[in-house]
Amino acid sequence: MTYAVFPGCIARNLYPSIEKSTQLVFKELNVPLTEVRFTCCPAPGVIRSYDVDSWLAISARNLAAAEEKDADLLVICNGCYGTLSSARRRLLDDADARERTNQKLAAISMRFHGRANVEHFADVLHARLPEIRQKVKVELELKVAIHYGCHYLKPSEHSGRNVESPSVLEDLVSALGCESVDFPEKLSCCGAGGGVWSGSEELSLKVLDRKMRFIKESGADCILDVCPFCHLQLDQGQKRLRTRYEVPVLHLNQLIGLAFGQKDKVLGIHTHMVSTREIARKAKKARRDLADED
Amino acid sequence: MTSSDIALKFDLRKCVQCGKCTASCPTGRESNLRTRALVFRANSSDVSTERELWLCTTCYTCQERCPKGVKITDAIIELRNLAAEKGNYPSIHLTAIKGLRDTSDGFPITPEVSKIRSLLGLSIEPFDVAHSDEEREKFRKLFQSLRIIAFLEERK
Repeated sequence: MTYAVFPGCIARNLYPSIEKSTQLVFKELNVPLTEVRFTCCPAPGVIRSYDVDSWLAISARNLAAAEEKDADLLVICNGCYGTLSSARRRLLDDADARERTNQKLAAISMRFHGRANVEHFADVLHARLPEIRQKVKVELELKVAIHYGCHYLKPSEHSGRNVESPSVLEDLVSALGCESVDFPEKLSCCGAGGGVWSGSEELSLKVLDRKMRFIKESGADCILDVCPFCHLQLDQGQKRLRTRYEVPVLHLNQLIGLAFGQKDKVLGIHTHMVSTREIARKAKKARRDLADED
Repeated sequence: MTSSDIALKFDLRKCVQCGKCTASCPTGRESNLRTRALVFRANSSDVSTERELWLCTTCYTCQERCPKGVKITDAIIELRNLAAEKGNYPSIHLTAIKGLRDTSDGFPITPEVSKIRSLLGLSIEPFDVAHSDEEREKFRKLFQSLRIIAFLEERK
């Protein structure tokens, strides 16, 4: 089985630097990736809130498209992961829902069987920790504020994870030679999910502001996320707050890319809203120190 | 499905009104959303007209922490389906639904981002449904057969 990257709309259409970093990191790790024609996952916050069955059908189309190419889905966004893994579970467990959905797919000559697995990229990376450790070229030594986001961990009945004290990202951060800093409400929501980002902007930003205050006080050099939607909220949303926190935001694949020795402009982190210049400077210095040793 | 059907389906009657849900809610502390009270009301009345349903980020913290295992977030999502049917929803969401129908994407690409894609050496016509006339047409056909299309038709 090969992996088809499920980029999601935000990485593809708003933060292409995340898509680019994903390609570079998995290439470096010799994990072959293939491409499948996907649509929006569709968004669990808005689409599922309007009609669960429609959400299920669009999601089943994506799962069926991966099946046709004998690929598993490598998902780089928590929202997409929440949709695809929950929809897959529902379709497998509920025969009526599966039948209803397949009737809709039949009109476009497609069918969901459940052959394609849905994997979160953080898990795929975590399974390769020793290899990642070996490939780290530059010691970034950054203080990192980890933001898990909600739908990577929850609901636990689908993810099977320890939702109150996870360690996957802490392990990865430490493998990259960085330090994970603790802060209050570390596992709390960024405020963007559930259609709140577009539907109740002011409320969404209040939740973010509280989160940012705790992160700023932790002394972190950057925020680390595993979801382009959280990334959008943390990066663009941060710029909409009255307080200027100015904490740079990196998707996990971007931090790994830097640790593997990729330049910031190749990864594209200079296209973020909150300046990543300080991170890029540290990475450059670490690369130079390395060259001096050689 | 009525509001009380949803209360039954998700076992809301198992709720013992402990309030862990309200205490755990990230938007509740900044708004009028009171999850415990919402569950209480859902057991005896129709809550699908309440605007607070739309203040939940679906973070699932309440559902994870509920000592009685009540699937609170899942219930809120289905209550929203009912609310939407009755016209109780933030109309800005229709932009996202329409965008999905028309482009197959939740967020459309802008010329600025296309420029960034080329700068990074990424295709500006990526391999997806949005960039295949044939696949987009098939997706449109699927979308037209779904109940969600009704939200776009009513508003014409």
